[in-house]
Amino acid sequence: MRWGMVIDLDKCTACQSCAVACKAENNVPFATPEQSGRSHTIFWMDLLVQVRGEYPRPKARFIPRPCMHCDNPPCVQVCPVGATYRRPDGIVAQNYDRCIGCKYCMVACPYGARMFNMGRAEEPESYRSYANPDGRVARRRVGVVEKCTFCFQRVDQAVARARAEGRTLEDGEVKTACAQTCTGGAIVFGDLDDPASRAAQLAGSPRAFRLLDELGTRPKVVYLMEG
Amino acid sequence: MQSATRAERAYESFLRPLYGISLWYALGVAGLLGLVALGGYHLVGSQWAQGLEVTGLNTSIYWGLYIINFVFLVGVSAGGIIVAALAHILEFKEFKPISRIAELQAISCLILATLFIFVSIGAPDRFYYLFLYGRLGSPLIWDVIIIVVYLALAMVMGYLGTRADLVRCMAVFPRRRWLFRLLALGYTDISPAALERERRLLRGLSWAAIPAAVLLHSITAWILGLVKARVTWHTSLLGPLFVVSAVASGVALVTLCVVVTRALWRLDIGEKVVGGLGKVLALSVPVLGYFLFAELLTVTFGGETAALEVFTEMVWGSFAPFFWVNLIVGLLLPLLLLVMPARLSASWAFARAAAAAAFAGVLVMVWPWAGGDAPALFAESFPAWGALAQPAWMLGLLVLLIVVLTVIVPSTSVFVRVGTASALIVMGVLLERTNIVVLPQLHRYLAEFYGVGRYVPTWPEVAVALGIYALGALAFLVLAKLFPLVELPDEH
Repeated sequence: MRWGMVIDLDKCTACQSCAVACKAENNVPFATPEQSGRSHTIFWMDLLVQVRGEYPRPKARFIPRPCMHCDNPPCVQVCPVGATYRRPDGIVAQNYDRCIGCKYCMVACPYGARMFNMGRAEEPESYRSYANPDGRVARRRVGVVEKCTFCFQRVDQAVARARAEGRTLEDGEVKTACAQTCTGGAIVFGDLDDPASRAAQLAGSPRAFRLLDELGTRPKVVYLMEG
Repeated sequence: MQSATRAERAYESFLRPLYGISLWYALGVAGLLGLVALGGYHLVGSQWAQGLEVTGLNTSIYWGLYIINFVFLVGVSAGGIIVAALAHILEFKEFKPISRIAELQAISCLILATLFIFVSIGAPDRFYYLFLYGRLGSPLIWDVIIIVVYLALAMVMGYLGTRADLVRCMAVFPRRRWLFRLLALGYTDISPAALERERRLLRGLSWAAIPAAVLLHSITAWILGLVKARVTWHTSLLGPLFVVSAVASGVALVTLCVVVTRALWRLDIGEKVVGGLGKVLALSVPVLGYFLFAELLTVTFGGETAALEVFTEMVWGSFAPFFWVNLIVGLLLPLLLLVMPARLSASWAFARAAAAAAFAGVLVMVWPWAGGDAPALFAESFPAWGALAQPAWMLGLLVLLIVVLTVIVPSTSVFVRVGTASALIVMGVLLERTNIVVLPQLHRYLAEFYGVGRYVPTWPEVAVALGIYALGALAFLVLAKLFPLVELPDEH
């Protein structure tokens, strides 16, 4: 089992619903306009935007950016207390109870995928009614690092259910929040070790590339180049 | 007969700080206590209450003012022990009297450095996790280990080098006998045989202290240098560069401490001592400049985009003031002060000074012509100054240069010249550290998406840093009352 994600940039409409779904699923804290002005905003899934050229012929490029869940994760390598670790199924997870907030992993991550709880989130009272009640995504305390977990609460639940029913997990049975909500169907989540899975097959496409692959991080998020 | 009176005089001067408390001393302690309280107020009342939100850190920079000072303080600590160890190993008569100040600096600066780490982390209540759950694979844990080893070594060296004087002090200050007894851990033997044994032990420990100091700063460099995600950190030059910076800034701070302490308490420390330190500085500063040049040449010749962007920002961008001030005021000027013969006729000195000032002035004036933007760092800190910021800092630099070149350079006092040079070197290395720590974080990979980050330290952050430094200065003042800061001459 090696969880990975394929994101087809041709199908991405830059609607950012992946970022919103991720916030809701994982109880990612809100930011006030003041906080976001000082760039303290937390995004586990962020939409990277690059605009080139002037008005008559501008060219924009959009890349949804979750954590790359590297097979050779630089963040895990540097963590002094083992708060961030690579699970046997390839997910790079974060132990919020262990993290001391030294931010070394954030410095070591070339993708900017790690986020720091700078301060308390100020959010409307009504927020509580639609917060995800799952204890594994309970709001993190101030002063620790958090990041995309490939929705491991969903993954683990699906794996446990399949095991209880005495069967193997089907391809596409578990979807991360971003994959589930993606309006263009651009995000495919699946097992890269299973050659029959859709994710593994898409990852073999000639359009496939990985971000900053030359750094030797071996990311498990594969992009399909826009045509 | 003459030498006897000289030793007598020295002996008396070294004990002088231990008598009574002057008004200035009390005022100094009060002022420093105030700064410590201010820092503590901001640390507890705002940073720990609201989170690191109150600092200037943001999603593009995670290590700021605190880590800059951590790296800087580890450096001056390593430099301190190198001076002390050289004094013990080579039996440098010149450095002997100041080895205790150097050891004290090594110990106290390292403690201050750990305090900076303590305030920089987001969950200080879990600080002990570093010891409980330490992962040997992390460079940060290598640093924890070497800091503990080095601190222990420096403390043992400090104790061994001080206890004979503590025993001597018991006889001079009978009423404070208990204090000296406590500090000496009950030791009382000062027979020549015991002193010889002590010297041999110190020599042996010094052999261990030098590699420990080199390792200490190399590992601190590797915390940054092993990170492949930050282009200009990820160079094998970083370790050696940090060691040389450590020697330069460490020796400079020892020198500054010696010069200031000597002036404060009229200690009998000779020109030879400070002159010798000046020579070590004159040797290490060019090496620092050489490393800087090697790095700049490698990056600009190849022109690799990511690294070039960082260096362009450093030399011509918003952090250009730090780079140029470091180069001109932190490296060239001190070198000039250190190598130019001290006893010049006044007119010659003035002519040279004027020529050097003109040269430096041209260098600074060329800067805007070469296409630099308005320094954003200053424009953001003082928006109202916007347009004035650039001419203001250049004019300030020029005035500083002219003052140093016309007043300090012609001065025939070794203490004034070497002391000024040391202060400038310390400042220069601090600026160098700032550029090394901050810039590669602002210019990151995927900058085409993320853009260039910015960092301006906030007031609470600055106050906490000031508080920590004030704590260090306070410790120095208190220790100066506890035992003689300079080794008492043997022959007394």
